[in-house]
Amino acid sequence: MTVEPVPDLADIQGNILRGYKKDHVRHLVLTITDPQAARRWLLDATSGETAGTPQVTTEKSYSEKPPTCLNVGLTHAGLETLGVAAKHLRTFPHEFVDGMASRALKLGDTGPSDPRHWKAEWQDPSKVHVVVSVHADSPGQREKAGKEVLDAGDGAAFDKTAQLDGDAFPGGQVHFGYRDNIAQPHFAGIRDPIDRPDRQPLVEVGAVLLGHQTPVEDVRWEVPQPKRLGFNGSFNAFRVLEQQVGEFEDFLSQSAALIKDNGMANMVLPPDVEKTWDPPTSRFEAMRELVAAKILGRWRTGVPLALSPYSPTPVCLGKLNDFDYANDTDGLCCPVGSHIRRCNPRSSRIVQRNTNHSRRIVRRGMPYGPPHDPDHPDDGKERGLLGVFICASLIAQFEAIQYDWMNLGLQDPRITGTNDAVVGNNEPEFSSFTMPVGSSSIELRGFSRFVHTVGGAYLFLPSIRALKYLGSLHP
Amino acid sequence: MVTTQPSKWVQFLQSKLTQPGEWLLVQYWKHRAPVTTPTWVWKTAPGDNLQQCMNLVMPLADKTDVGRARAAKAVAANVDEIFTGLNNVGTVHFARFDLIGGNLCMFSVYDGDLENYLRDFISVFGSVFDALMELVEAPPPTPCGLHPEAFIDWIIAHDAFQITGDVPSLFPDEGNIANLPRDVVLLLEQHPNVQLGRYSGYPGKSAAQIRLATGIDW
Ligand code: HEM
Repeated sequence: MTVEPVPDLADIQGNILRGYKKDHVRHLVLTITDPQAARRWLLDATSGETAGTPQVTTEKSYSEKPPTCLNVGLTHAGLETLGVAAKHLRTFPHEFVDGMASRALKLGDTGPSDPRHWKAEWQDPSKVHVVVSVHADSPGQREKAGKEVLDAGDGAAFDKTAQLDGDAFPGGQVHFGYRDNIAQPHFAGIRDPIDRPDRQPLVEVGAVLLGHQTPVEDVRWEVPQPKRLGFNGSFNAFRVLEQQVGEFEDFLSQSAALIKDNGMANMVLPPDVEKTWDPPTSRFEAMRELVAAKILGRWRTGVPLALSPYSPTPVCLGKLNDFDYANDTDGLCCPVGSHIRRCNPRSSRIVQRNTNHSRRIVRRGMPYGPPHDPDHPDDGKERGLLGVFICASLIAQFEAIQYDWMNLGLQDPRITGTNDAVVGNNEPEFSSFTMPVGSSSIELRGFSRFVHTVGGAYLFLPSIRALKYLGSLHP
Repeated sequence: MVTTQPSKWVQFLQSKLTQPGEWLLVQYWKHRAPVTTPTWVWKTAPGDNLQQCMNLVMPLADKTDVGRARAAKAVAANVDEIFTGLNNVGTVHFARFDLIGGNLCMFSVYDGDLENYLRDFISVFGSVFDALMELVEAPPPTPCGLHPEAFIDWIIAHDAFQITGDVPSLFPDEGNIANLPRDVVLLLEQHPNVQLGRYSGYPGKSAAQIRLATGIDW
């Protein structure tokens, strides 16, 4: 790995290399109504004057944690509306130019996830210009900062098409009940106090920042021009992912019953082991938890199967990410088709031999909607994940994970042709998940898709210098 | 289906059309109703993600026998590296180099998405391709590792357009079958090289699945 100088952290938007660790987010989906006022706002929001307009947060370390943090993401239509010249727009990667909806087939956004069924605010991509994300410690602070953004240019700069609020659940859980936000890339030269040991190579910052060495030797993604617009920028696949929690829980119950009724329970979980769990549970509940763990690769407590195949009880929190699959070639502990092993095979043997560590992405999603209440499974409320998937190349990282690994399983011939059971675009006629046990396996079939895409956009996260450049354009 | 016969006038005009006349007619059609080809949508249907074809037709800068000999030499000099590289890409069923007319061609069958395939390509044997690019007409900027997007765009532009199903399946909204020839002409006008169909002896299987089933290390 070539060691490069650490990039200028004051030039990079926050939340890319290190997370904000805030519990509340508001994504404002905006149409630019007055480009001049929008440009003015960009200049104000990057002026360093903390008294007026809320400032776009940078990656620079702070001595006092700010109560709110702000990010700006722009679509291709947004850059165009701000006045970026056509010759420069052409230098952006074509998947970004075309936009997320046009990549539906590749992303598996078909059937219920077809862009034609997306929510109203995403129906006309030419009107989605900016997504301003406000991260806050409290809903009150989020409200205040969000309003200040909308007041830009005396309220003339933007028209709000949607306001999407996300709130962290206790213990970092997301819908479906899993603990999330454990595994993130560790960037070379960047110190993050919450980094957990993970037995993986350090990740070059070029995995998320344009203009730097990428994890693929001798490959750099092209920097959109002019350089001060593209350099140190990043891309965000912003996806609104609705989760069908009731259906998911039903699937766990049906699968648990199937395993028990067919006398296979003792094959997958030693008898009575659930009595040693904290808290102890019934055999049936234990089977449900086991299925949940097998399809994701972690127990819902966050404990990885690779380290603890028979118990979800956390032993040492520092070890939550300190594992690899190299000694579990057949997926007896962590199935090859589980969500986390598909999305990051670590050093498992995979078909695309040079690709193991090259598709790392940063995830900063937050749940939205109320938690599922098992007593009122059909409450008619929408819930899901406001997914933020950050990378330097949407094609080579986000789309490649989603297409090759998550929805096709190309990385291992034993799962090719199957989709990720948790988030893949499954149809009951074809879906299947294999849980290897000893020298045989249990196959779960007939489940539908538990995650529906209901909106989203490919966003460019410009550097601070680039935001200033955009603010000072004179088209 | 009812098809209408062109009127006597049109038949007369058609019989009189010479090659330049036909060319003019095509330009007129193009102007009236251009055929758009959203590559991703047409090239890949959802279940169509294994055993894809790449038919790379790269016009040589020097099309003389000496130029073609140079191309043959460049391939020969790098062939071991290329084939080892393809092995590492892991998703390739077949690949071969051909000299056809004044073109250096690489025909391959691979699994997954073309853009991912090409990126794996760059990381595995980018330097070999850099050497080949010295011999072709209007090459992309090199080294390809520093210009991956431009390289991939160039390859896609030189990959033969693929008609994977029946020709009519390309025009699902085409109500009038009599218009089909016009649309096909326009399509060909846009794409000099076209793959018209393909057959697979073992459909729906990846290269690694075949290797696994036949006891070859994947
Ligand atoms: C609603 C949809 C989704 C849910 C509920 C979900 C849930 C989770 C959970 C619970 C984890 C384990 C926690 C951790 O390791 O940090 C995880 C890990 C991960 N997910 Fe997802 N996920 C979703 C969508 C996606 C999508 C769309 C992608 C990418 C295309 C993705 C990529 C990843 C990656 C890369 C990891 C980390 C794997 C590792 O490094 O070990 N996820 N996800």
